[in-house]
Amino acid sequence: MAETLNRTFTPIAQGMALTLKHYVKMLTARKENIATFQYPEERREQFPRTRWRHVLTRYDNGLEKCIGCSLCAGACPARCIYVEAKENTDENRVSPGERFAIKYEINMLRCIFCGYCQEACPTGAIVLRKDFELSEYSRQDALYTKEMLLEPILMKK
Amino acid sequence: MPDIEWVYIKINGIALKVPKGEMIIESAKRIGVEIPFFCYHPRLSMKEGGANCRMCLVEVASRMPDGSLRKMPKPQTSCSLPAAEGMEIETDTEALNADRRGVLEFLLINHPLDCPICDRGGECPLQNNTMHYGPPTTRFIEEKRHFPKAYPLSQYVVFDRERCIHCARCTRFTRDISGDEELNFLWRGADMEVATFDHTEYNSRFSGNVIELCPVGALLSRPYRFKARPWDLQSAKSICTQCSNGCNIKLDYRLDRIHRVNARLNEDVNEEWTCDKGKFGMDYISDESRLKTPMIRRNGELSPASWEEVLYLIASELKNAEGEVAGVGGAYSSNEDIYVFQKFMRETLRSKHIDHRMGPNFQSYNSGLLKRFGCPAMGNPIAELEDMKSTLIFGSNFVDEQPILYLRVRKGWRFKRNKVVEAAPQGLISEEIRHVTQFAEVSLNYKNGTELPLAQGLLAALFEDKGRPLGEQKLLSHLSGKNVAQCASETGVDEKDIRKAAELLATDKMCIFAGEYVTHSPDATAILEVLGDIAVLTGNAGNLNVPVSRNNEQGAMELGILPDMLPGYVEEQNPGMNTEEILSACVKEDLKALWVMNTDLVKEYHNSDLANSAMDACPFVVVTALAITDTAAKANVVLPVHSVAEKWGTFTNVERRVQAFCKAFEISPDIHAEWKVFSDLSSMLGSPMTYADGKDILNEIVKSVPTFAKCGPNTLGDEGVILNPVAGGKE
Repeated sequence: MAETLNRTFTPIAQGMALTLKHYVKMLTARKENIATFQYPEERREQFPRTRWRHVLTRYDNGLEKCIGCSLCAGACPARCIYVEAKENTDENRVSPGERFAIKYEINMLRCIFCGYCQEACPTGAIVLRKDFELSEYSRQDALYTKEMLLEPILMKK
Repeated sequence: MPDIEWVYIKINGIALKVPKGEMIIESAKRIGVEIPFFCYHPRLSMKEGGANCRMCLVEVASRMPDGSLRKMPKPQTSCSLPAAEGMEIETDTEALNADRRGVLEFLLINHPLDCPICDRGGECPLQNNTMHYGPPTTRFIEEKRHFPKAYPLSQYVVFDRERCIHCARCTRFTRDISGDEELNFLWRGADMEVATFDHTEYNSRFSGNVIELCPVGALLSRPYRFKARPWDLQSAKSICTQCSNGCNIKLDYRLDRIHRVNARLNEDVNEEWTCDKGKFGMDYISDESRLKTPMIRRNGELSPASWEEVLYLIASELKNAEGEVAGVGGAYSSNEDIYVFQKFMRETLRSKHIDHRMGPNFQSYNSGLLKRFGCPAMGNPIAELEDMKSTLIFGSNFVDEQPILYLRVRKGWRFKRNKVVEAAPQGLISEEIRHVTQFAEVSLNYKNGTELPLAQGLLAALFEDKGRPLGEQKLLSHLSGKNVAQCASETGVDEKDIRKAAELLATDKMCIFAGEYVTHSPDATAILEVLGDIAVLTGNAGNLNVPVSRNNEQGAMELGILPDMLPGYVEEQNPGMNTEEILSACVKEDLKALWVMNTDLVKEYHNSDLANSAMDACPFVVVTALAITDTAAKANVVLPVHSVAEKWGTFTNVERRVQAFCKAFEISPDIHAEWKVFSDLSSMLGSPMTYADGKDILNEIVKSVPTFAKCGPNTLGDEGVILNPVAGGKE
């Protein structure tokens, strides 16, 4: 009988002791040493070269860097980028130079986040940043348009 | 075949036999050795402005008379280096690579590096050669040359002066090929620029070709500007639909939109040129105005309907018409559509009243030509035109009517010293001074409407010339007893000019073109008889060309959209009504239904009042159309049909060459091929036609029409096949 009890409760006690040990350790540990994150309240810091959501960046004066050259679309192995260009006019200047992208679409369902577009971009307009939460309720929503990809204008001092 | 003198040369140690005098750059192509170049083009002359890019340098050693090899101290341009016996050429040495690097570094000094926004980027010879042979970096740190970007040369061409590398391809093109000599170099050295005289608009019928010729992004298409990059585009082999010449083209499209048209090489038709009508005129395919659903007239308004509804309506109306039906048009449809159309009219509806001809007089002269020369069209293939020692262009605004034939004739004059005689009405020559008149040996500038006396004058001059064989005396009957002097005074042309022209025409290789001023003249038949006599008398029987003008007009003729001819020019025993009679019958309400096949009848028929009142009077009009035209707006039912980009099919061009075009994309599933409409209707009317696709129909044509015997879908290839001659119809 005592044998049976011993065999049943000793491992439980041992296990609970380990749990307790880690619980105490976690309560007393420094924040950066904790592996578990309370997602979505907390988000893990991404590695510096992580490639997630694309962003179309702007120059400091607010002009778009993208010139609609479609090199990203040419480099894309998943063929998920669609670019249509148009000519800049002095009344409606979108980017420096002659040409800008009037349409810029990325199909996020197809994208494999290889970063070739970023590598091909001659002006550094398209960059893959760390925003990784890319799930959508419909397939249509995963088609990111230029308005969604563009960086908001930040008035810098 | 003239005897070719062959010489033996060595390129990179590989021995080969080439014709003497062939440029080394061409010889290298024979063994697949690549020599980079910019300015060289096999169809442009080397004189005056060739060999200027210095990219195609090779090292040469020539054989001396004593048999020793002597190496030239400096590299030579292979594009201007004729092959000679015993030459030894090196194309890939250290020294040459250094030279090429140097040439490219110089070319790139002033060339802006805006490749990402340049429309040529991705298919640019300068880009490619720089990647292959160029220096990785530049040592030039000074300011580059700057000019305003995108200077509009014409409504079709923009010019970026910064990017120009002065290869002179465009200037040589305007001089050697198109003949308008619009572009030339201004200033010298680094300031050199391509310009028109006094910076006026670049006014040419062939300006689009310089865009394709330019080895950099200096001359660019204005409609295509920033529309797409080369890697965004898909390409479909196609045939231009803007005139009857049947240029081979590539339709470059993205999704369901045509972005540009480039020429496709076909040595027998357009070589590698297109005219501006074709290059910039194919937008209609993806135009917003394209009809996407069938339309039915309800309460006086055209409103959308479903195909089922429309086909049931048409089938019941045609059944009630009981053969009192007529069909017009067809000159813009493919051979397959045409064949199924005439089969539908003749066999299903039992009506003989079909005709595609829209101009005056066709009825009268077509049959005359057919009887005499076996074909109411061109007697010579296009490629032969450049070898004609003399060409008579009679009553034609040639460059506008037949742009590609014009280029051939001009090529013969420019590169083979052929003679051209032009006969044109007085107003025309002064307006179109820059074209045929510019290089014609003799220009006969006659009073309007005097085509017949002028032709008779030429014939009389040929008869009076004692040195010529007199030929058959029956030809004399067409002269109506006139002599040269009488004809000269009647036409207002100098008698000496007529005699000189006749003298030029009296060669063993001569051909005659009759243009619209002949075919639209009330004397069309008589003029063509006399022109035919001239051809017979000079020993060139059959070299009378009466080229048709519309896209597949030739095909409509060959495949029997004629009231008196079945497919293959088989005579119909009881001919039906021709276009004019059909339209008059409509006005008199003798016909119960009219089918207009993809033709803007109201606009095209030479008597638009008659066409308009016929459309109004006919109780049931069906129009197949790409968009709502003036004709479609008057119809009871309008059916949307495929354009050239949406189906596989064939066209017959002006020289009776059957050429295939491929499907590029689909605009809407509710647009059907024309043959599909006819076969569906035929099944509903009780005589089913079972065609799966266009190739099925072409196979049936091949089996049933002897002239098409060689034109099966698998034998057409990229270059097309010329139809068999019409059996038993040649003088």
